[in-house]
Order: sequence, then C-alpha cells, then structure tokens
Amino acid sequence: MIKISSLTKYFGKIQALDNLNLEIKKGELLGLIGPNGAGKTTAIRIISCILQPDQGQVMVGGYDVQENPLEVKSMIGYLPEEPNLYERFRAYDLLKYFGELYGVPSGELESRIEELLELVGMKARAQHRINTFSKGLRQRIGIARALIHDPDIIIFDEPTMGLDPATSLVIRDFIESLKGDKTILMCTHYMDEADALCDRVTILNQGQILDMGSPQELKSKIHGDIILNVSLNDPSQVNLADFENMEMVEKFTLKEDKLMLSLQSRRDISRIIEFLGPNLKAVQTKEPTLEDVFIQNVANLNK
Amino acid sequence: MSSWTITKWELKNTLHNRKFILIFFLQLVVLLMMVLFFSSFMEGIESEEGISLTPSLNQFASLDIYDPQNILINQLNPEILEINSNKIDIALNRLEGGDVTGVLILPSSDDFNLEEIKPVPVNLYIDYEDPKRSVIKDEVSTAQNKASSLISERWINDLTPQQEVSQPQIQEETQGEALPLQLINKVMTAVLLFLPLFLFGNLIVDSIVGEKERKTGEILIAMPLSRSNIILGKSMAVIITMALQVALWMVLMILAGYSIENPGLVYLIVVTTALPIVGLTSIIAAFSKNYKEAGIGITFAYVAIIGFLIVPALAYISQQGRYVSASTMTLAIKVFSGEPLSPGDIIVPFTSLLLISLISYYISIWLFKRDDIVFGPRPGILRLLFEFATLNKVVNYFKK
Repeated sequence: MIKISSLTKYFGKIQALDNLNLEIKKGELLGLIGPNGAGKTTAIRIISCILQPDQGQVMVGGYDVQENPLEVKSMIGYLPEEPNLYERFRAYDLLKYFGELYGVPSGELESRIEELLELVGMKARAQHRINTFSKGLRQRIGIARALIHDPDIIIFDEPTMGLDPATSLVIRDFIESLKGDKTILMCTHYMDEADALCDRVTILNQGQILDMGSPQELKSKIHGDIILNVSLNDPSQVNLADFENMEMVEKFTLKEDKLMLSLQSRRDISRIIEFLGPNLKAVQTKEPTLEDVFIQNVANLNK
Repeated sequence: MSSWTITKWELKNTLHNRKFILIFFLQLVVLLMMVLFFSSFMEGIESEEGISLTPSLNQFASLDIYDPQNILINQLNPEILEINSNKIDIALNRLEGGDVTGVLILPSSDDFNLEEIKPVPVNLYIDYEDPKRSVIKDEVSTAQNKASSLISERWINDLTPQQEVSQPQIQEETQGEALPLQLINKVMTAVLLFLPLFLFGNLIVDSIVGEKERKTGEILIAMPLSRSNIILGKSMAVIITMALQVALWMVLMILAGYSIENPGLVYLIVVTTALPIVGLTSIIAAFSKNYKEAGIGITFAYVAIIGFLIVPALAYISQQGRYVSASTMTLAIKVFSGEPLSPGDIIVPFTSLLLISLISYYISIWLFKRDDIVFGPRPGILRLLFEFATLNKVVNYFKK
C-alpha cells in the first residue's frame, strides 16, 4: 500500500531522512518508533504530502506523492501530534468543513459526521466550541476529522501523547478497532502502545532504520525469551567469566548486587538458580519489552 | 471548488466573529463622523466668516467698555469676550474688585469728534495679575485695526466724488463649488472610497499567519487541495469582505450627500484595487513567521501602496505629471466627477493593477509552496530573492 524508496530529506544542512526504504502492506498497522529527531514525523509528513522529499520516491496506493499529491491526500487520514484544531469552530462545523474539503458528497456528509461523533463518543458535544474541549476531547475530534472521508490509510503521529491513561486506553481501543480494515502508520514514543497495537515496528534513528519486525521478533532478537533479575548476597563471589561460557546466557550485566541475565529459554532459570546457590538473595523474572529493544538499539548506536 | 470551499468557510467565520462585527460597525461610525465633520468643515469654508483653527475661547475673559460713539464695541468678538457696557466709574470699580479683567474707555462725542482726522484716544485698564489680560490686549488690538480700517474707508468714500459707473455685463455663476472646494471634495471622496481597502487588508494576515501560529496549517496542507488553492481561497474571502464594506461605505456617502457619478463603475474600480492590495499583503503573510513580523511588513507595504494610489491622484488634481493615469484612484476621481475618459485612462490603471496582482499572487503562492517557509528553517530574504530570480537554477545546473 505504501512503498518508500531511498527517501532523503534535508532541513537546511540537517539531514532528517537518510536513504529510507520501507514498505507497508495493505491492512497492516506499522509502528514507527525512535528518539526525538529520528525522522518519524518527517517521514509521515512526506507520505501525507505535507513535505516534499529531496530525493527518493514514495508511492501510496499506486500514486507518486510528488506527481499525484491530491490523489494521495484523498486516500490518507492524518492526525498530527498536536490536535491543533480551529478553536472558534463547533465540533460539528469542524467535521463539516473538513468533509467538504475532502469532497465528501453533501448527501452523505451529515450522516457520516453523526456516525463519527457517535464512534468517538462526542455526540453530546457536537455543538460545543473546540476551545471548550480538553486535550483528550480534541484528540477524539481530531480522530473523527481524520476519518471523515473514510480513508484507506490512516496516519497517527503520537496519538496518545499527553493524554491521561483512561483517555489513552479509549484511543488505543479505537485504533485497534480499525486494524485490518485500514492500513495504519503510527508514530509513538510509548513502547507498550507499539507492542500492543502494531503488527510490525520500525525503529528509526537519525533518519535511518535500525531494525524492523514484529514486536515479538524484535524482542527475541535482543534478549531471547526471558530476563532474570537477581539480587546477590555477596557480589564479589560472582565470576562473570562463568556466564560468558554459558550458552544459555545471551547477555549479562552486574551493577552492585544486582545481576541481570538474559536467557534463551525459561527452562534455563532453574540451572542459573542452582549455579548461584546460597549467594542468591532474591530472583525476579521479566518478559522482554519493546522498550528494552529500543534502548538496546539506540544505546548500541550511541556507544 | 476547493478554493471556493476555503472562501466560503473563511467568510462564514469572519462574518460570525463578534470582534469582526464590532470593528465593522465601529468603522462605519468613524466614517459617519468623518463625513459629518467634513461637511461642517466645507460649510465653514463656504461661509463668509471662513473657518478658524483657533481653539474655542468662548467668553474667556470679561471686559467692561465705555464707548458712547460705538467706535470699538461692535468690532470686539463677543464669542471670546464677555462684554458689558458700563459707566466709567462703575467699570473701574468692577476692575478694582476683580469682577472684570479689563476696562476699555473711549471718548464721548463731547470730547472727540469722529469726523476730525486725528487719532482716537483709547484707554485700556487691565488687571496685570490676571493671566487672561493678554487675550484682552489681543482682542482690543484686533478691534482697533478693524475700526481703523472702517473709519479710513469712510473718509476715503467721503472724499471721492460719487459717480455713476456702468457695471460690465458679468453673470455670476451660482451653481457648483469654487475650484479649491471641488479639489478638496474630490480628494476627500477618493480617500473615503479607498480607505476600506486598508482597514480589512490585515484579515489575510490573520488568515495565513494565523494558520502558522495556531499550527492548523499542517492539517490544511494535508487536505486534497493545492497550496495555491489555499492562498487564492483565503484571498478571495478577504476581497469579498472588502467589497461588502466598500458597498456599505458608498451607500452611506451617497446618503450623506456626496456626489458620486457612475457609482457602479466607481465601485468596480475600488473593489478591483483590492486585488493587488490583498495580493501584496498575502506575500507578507506567506513569508512571516508571526503576527509581529507581518505587522512590520504591512506597514511598509501599505506606505508604498498608498503612495502608488495617492501620488498620481494628487498629481492629476494639481494637473502636474504625465503618468497620473497609473493609479486607479485617479481613474475613480475622473469617473465620479463625470469627466470624459480616454482609452488610456482605463487601460493604464487596469493593466498595472492586473500585473501587480498576478506577480503578487505568484510570489505568495511560490512562498507558501516552500517547505522551508511554512515549516522552517526559513531562508533569508536575499537567498529567496536569488532563488526567485532563478539564479539558483543556473548555479544548480553548473553544479551538476
């Protein structure tokens, strides 16, 4: 559905995207994660025809973003990071305005607005002005605005940024309900969000892709199956060279009395406990998260 | 269609905005006041007394006067002085008591014969502690001059033998106004007609710079419409607002008694002048990062535009200069004065109008299409000028 080839973008002398290649399949939810300034927003702005690429090509639904921007824009519903909406508008009028700009037939527009207001739980606030809404309510209206023309592709830039946990959950549930039906590209700083929602995740840093795959694939690449956090009675008794020789241990670190071990399999836990013997004070297991993947990737790069 | 959608919603928002409605009617009130003051100003000029720019000193100081022969009393200005006729002793007592600022004493017929050719003795007593004394002195001096002129004139008339003089057959023109009045009227009418264009030109700034400041521009650019659609749609909304305002001003001016011939054509000329004004303002709006920058830019631009409109018009009125027709204000003056028009009178201003409009909209769209202008980092003006002059393309060609 979206194919990015050798995409490069500069802002003055700063290179925001460096030869980026990416493909998003129809019906897929792809997450873009990366530190600030990684190029996530620049990439989605180019896909949405808001920015123009300096080099490379972006094809959306068979259309080139530079040659057929209007066709591409018609296929995309874009929700920017900040739900900057026209403050003086009433919620209903805002959706009507954007519906008209998207060319939604006037006969369908009214029912579409009603349907979306119902969907985002804002029907009772339809005649209220935007400047009376909290950030969460604005984000809901922002989502309704992005969906007003029933687009095939939806692009979310940090959709739950700055929202309270309850509202974030509502938004996440809503995005999840769109999965499969729509092709979704989502930028996020929240790794648990990417982990829970995305079919595939792309880690971006300094305009380049560091890694890509399903959350499970990425997690297993970094830490294996399980992480063991051990508290020791006497850290001086531990010989780290022993762990280097153990095949089941993929990674290990020792900080004061805390030993962290990344194991290939859950079955290896008992062997480690047996090995440490009475020096073991407490043990805790932890599933690897996407955050670990992200930190590992970015940390490796900054070494 | 997309441009029209933008225009429609911009207009809807503007006309529903309470602040805009308030400003709109305040401007109409200001116009009415200007019309009223100007009318009384013109009446003042036309009257025999003329107009005085002196601030009002109504009954500022009081003067007791003893003038049994009425030599000076009728020449004193009762609007400035509170004048009381009194006997000498009463008047001097009042001055001593601080009831009046001055006492003016002229001779009675027993003491002085006005028919004799010799100076009239005039005594002025004033309270030197009263700061109003200078007004008394000035007014008495003015009255003395007037009286002196009248007396001299009477003597000269008495000395000249009366002759029957046959009057030449001159028919006095009683219709129309004197030439200076016509000029003042024309300039004022033209200024009032074109003024609305400068009052609402800044709407385009709010419309474009506001999108940047409120960061709503990003979602607008993501809509399936080109950036030229956005600029043209917003500009059209401002031009329609201006057209509405010009129409109201014209109606009010006509109701107030202004003589505007061919009002339809005059209206068309004024509204067409809005095209380049909005175009030039949209260049500033497209380039500016914020309202402050835009405000500074607009000040410069409007000075240039006003110069372009008014200078040729004034040159035309004073019948100087050969290129006076370049301004649409000149054309409007000719049209509302009912003067005959040559093809050049129409072609020259409309061609310049069209050219400036095309260039200004081209530049504003060119600027708004640039990512670095809309999202930053914004290049300097010199670099933009260099790129606009396509010199950048030449450099890139040789780089390749």
